Amino acid sequence: MRIYEDLRLVQSRLAALQAVVVLLVAGLMVQFWNLQVVRARHFREQAEHNRSRLVTLAAPRGTLVDRNGQLLVGNRPSFNVVLVPEHAENLDRVVSRLAAALGMGEAAIRERLARRQPYRPVVVKNDATLADIAVLDARRLELPEVSVEVVPLRSYPLAAAAAHALGRVGEISERQLLLAEFKGLLPGALVGQAGIESRYNRELMGKDGFRRVIVNSRGLEVAEAAREPPSDGPNLTLSIDVSLQAAMEAAFAGRSGSAVALDPETGEILAMTSTPAYDPNQFTTGIEPARWASLASDPNTPLMNRVIQGTYAPGSTFKVIAATAALEEGVITPGTSFYCPGQLSVYNTVFRCNTPGGHGVVDLRRAISASCNVYFYQVGIRLEIGRLSKWAKLMGLGAPTGVDLPFEASGLMPSAEWKLRVLKTPWYAGETVSVAIGQGQVSATPIQMARVAAFIANGGRLLRPHFARQAKVPELPPIVRPETIAAVREGMCGVVAAGTGWRARLAGVLVCGKTGSAQVVARARLEKTPAAHELQPHGWFVAFAPADRPRIALAVLVEHGRSGGESAAPVARRILAHYFGLERADPPAEAARADISDTED
Amino acid sequence: MLGVGTGIDRRLVYNVDWVLLGATLFLSLLGVAMVYSATYAGQKPELYLKQLALVAVGLAGMTLAAALDYRRLADRAVLLYVLSVVALLYVLRFAPVIAGTRRWIVSFGFQLQPSELVKLAAAVFVAKLFSEFRQESLGLRDVALPGAAVGLLALLIAREPDLGAAACLVPLFLAVAFLAGLRMRAVLGLAAVLLLSAGLAWPFLKDYQKTRIYTFLDPSLDPRGAGYQKIQSQIAVGSGGLLGRGFREGSQAQLGYLPARHTDFIFSVLAEELGFVGVFVALSLYLLVLWRMLETARLARDRLGAFLVAGISATFAFQVVYNVGMVAGLVPVKGLPLPLMSYGGSSIVASLMGIGLVLSVRMRRFAN
Repeated sequence: MRIYEDLRLVQSRLAALQAVVVLLVAGLMVQFWNLQVVRARHFREQAEHNRSRLVTLAAPRGTLVDRNGQLLVGNRPSFNVVLVPEHAENLDRVVSRLAAALGMGEAAIRERLARRQPYRPVVVKNDATLADIAVLDARRLELPEVSVEVVPLRSYPLAAAAAHALGRVGEISERQLLLAEFKGLLPGALVGQAGIESRYNRELMGKDGFRRVIVNSRGLEVAEAAREPPSDGPNLTLSIDVSLQAAMEAAFAGRSGSAVALDPETGEILAMTSTPAYDPNQFTTGIEPARWASLASDPNTPLMNRVIQGTYAPGSTFKVIAATAALEEGVITPGTSFYCPGQLSVYNTVFRCNTPGGHGVVDLRRAISASCNVYFYQVGIRLEIGRLSKWAKLMGLGAPTGVDLPFEASGLMPSAEWKLRVLKTPWYAGETVSVAIGQGQVSATPIQMARVAAFIANGGRLLRPHFARQAKVPELPPIVRPETIAAVREGMCGVVAAGTGWRARLAGVLVCGKTGSAQVVARARLEKTPAAHELQPHGWFVAFAPADRPRIALAVLVEHGRSGGESAAPVARRILAHYFGLERADPPAEAARADISDTED
Repeated sequence: MLGVGTGIDRRLVYNVDWVLLGATLFLSLLGVAMVYSATYAGQKPELYLKQLALVAVGLAGMTLAAALDYRRLADRAVLLYVLSVVALLYVLRFAPVIAGTRRWIVSFGFQLQPSELVKLAAAVFVAKLFSEFRQESLGLRDVALPGAAVGLLALLIAREPDLGAAACLVPLFLAVAFLAGLRMRAVLGLAAVLLLSAGLAWPFLKDYQKTRIYTFLDPSLDPRGAGYQKIQSQIAVGSGGLLGRGFREGSQAQLGYLPARHTDFIFSVLAEELGFVGVFVALSLYLLVLWRMLETARLARDRLGAFLVAGISATFAFQVVYNVGMVAGLVPVKGLPLPLMSYGGSSIVASLMGIGLVLSVRMRRFAN
């Protein structure tokens, strides 16, 4: 017989357990509903983020070529070691392995990682060597989150030549990242940091492409989801003539200074040099801080483009401006003469001429060619500062020339209003006397003075110097009368033919110019310590040639070269000799010098 | 097997729970499909075939278990218990260290995880012990001896270490003690004692176990480390959406972001690829299985049968709820397979054999 157990308690408690199970499973379903339906979009995005990686395809920057199509700045392939930190399972281990493999410090790698953006590859080492690549390749399985990408890298085949004009590229700075000009760029991007590279950065950069790739959990690429090829930056043809540029650099023979040569009809810059220079190739992969510090603190300022950033007293080269102003204002005529006794006393101050014995009776032509100060003191007294300042500004002083380079200095052309506003003192008539011979407050950059030479050469038109070749030269009417130009030109031709600039004389080509010296310290102090090089005046020479139909205008400044005739004119001659294909012509003999002092211009 | 008679008559076959059997089969095959999706592109693309073979072995084991008269089996309860202790001691002493743990007996190219079979033995043993009690209600003192016996098994498993498997014995014991008439005050007291002992166990936990609990509370502490599994599993589940990303199309599973995707996290793959619809179907089937099991307990002809089924159900329910809760990010990550679906021979075979025992109880509800 069967004995039935009493199962009532068991059965009622089982019902409770059933209820618990139903509740638990229902709770799970609610959670899945929450994850899969309510928050589905959020998680779908995270899954996408997980699996896809954006790889930038760097667009090569546009190359720069000279006016004859010769390469000035190009690109070469280089290898970057990159790491996506998010894909590293153990970042510390990856960093220490990478440091060992690449022979870098861990701190250097961490510094780069500190600037990362989420899920963006971080460049751990730029321009890695083939040996680095070989080491990484051998360890690929240990370091799956590390990869090597080939990027175009800027190369400057001319090295230091034309370095200041062409400029350099470098990693975008944190400050630049905030600027509208660099909108859309990421840390690590290479952008122009100086010169034409900086001025035409946007144009040259082209447009980066990208690849969207699907990666697995170890960061290895398994497929490509999308690709947009990069579009190369357009190539830029510059007005530079490489061979003239080389001749210009050679003409300086290691001396500090600067020179710029223009086409006087168009304003195109044929060559520009500033010495000492630097090799922009050092910057393309990020310069080492120590090397940067030594460049930046070098007392010879190799990073400065003296042509546009060096401001110097124009000295006697300013007489070209004073003469033009005086003729245009009718203060003098080409035939006006003054007597030069060797000095002039104005308002109880004695102003000396450059030749102690004086020049005797001088007309305008001889005043320019012999650089007679007394003549221009007289001109200054008659013009007064207002008209002198007006004409200097019309001829481009006191304002940037607008050359297509960044960070151009404007120099200074003083006036009575300027002095009252800035120095809070009235203008003294004696100051005009100094300014008339390019001393005192007036200062100018070499490119401004080259523009003045071009102004006289092209018949009185103020052109904007530039590198980028333009489709059309703007039609500018001359702002001075032809007679004025003719008279100033005649004086300038005399400077070379029989004056202070005789060292620029070139057999076969009539060169016109003007010497000048920019005082660094007061003349009295210099006489006490004549030997100190850094106290010597800077030598100027501005010129154009040939006289009848000028094709080139230039300005040369040799720092501490004493007089322009001595130091700058020979440099100009070498540049012109190359330009006219006359390198083999003999330099002018000592006998060719005229009756003029050549140390005082 | 253990010298127990296996008489099969027509009435037994007539009382087979075909609904439970069908749901079990469906879940097993769904598991094979998900294992296929999770592994076909990997280094062992044939793993799903192995899983299929294991399901076949498990079905054979289930048939055997169903054919056994559970009462004859319960007569050997003490023997089963002793064998369990011996097997666990053997594992602790002699088993090879695999992934830092000693869980498997390896022989003839097969890996056997004794703890999975110990769960079944424990269910038989506990059911037998409690069915011997004749009191209307039980106090804590009454359950102390069975508790110590089960506690020893749990301790040995926890020493492997396999905390997940050890934890399975707790709901087993609690459920049976509850059904056997443990007073409600005692139930609450026992729960309190367990919570307290969990607190006392804290200093003895391994570092990785502590880390898992820390990162469960805040996964962002270590997104690449211990929090990684939880985050990636949630992304997989959530990105599946309502309809799923399609079979073999889940990016989290296919690109390897999901850890242990064919074993403990198989349900993540299902959630990602089949979406909420797939989750709903699978969870409904699990609920159906559990419901039919507890129904079987309710319909059992004796306390032994009811307790045996309840113990097996409690373990099964605990594993399903914990594993799925882990996939959904509700509980800390712990190595606990999902019954019927996770890849793993011992788990599949033991789960199916357990269901075989349930079937056995139901088949014999009218038999003498």
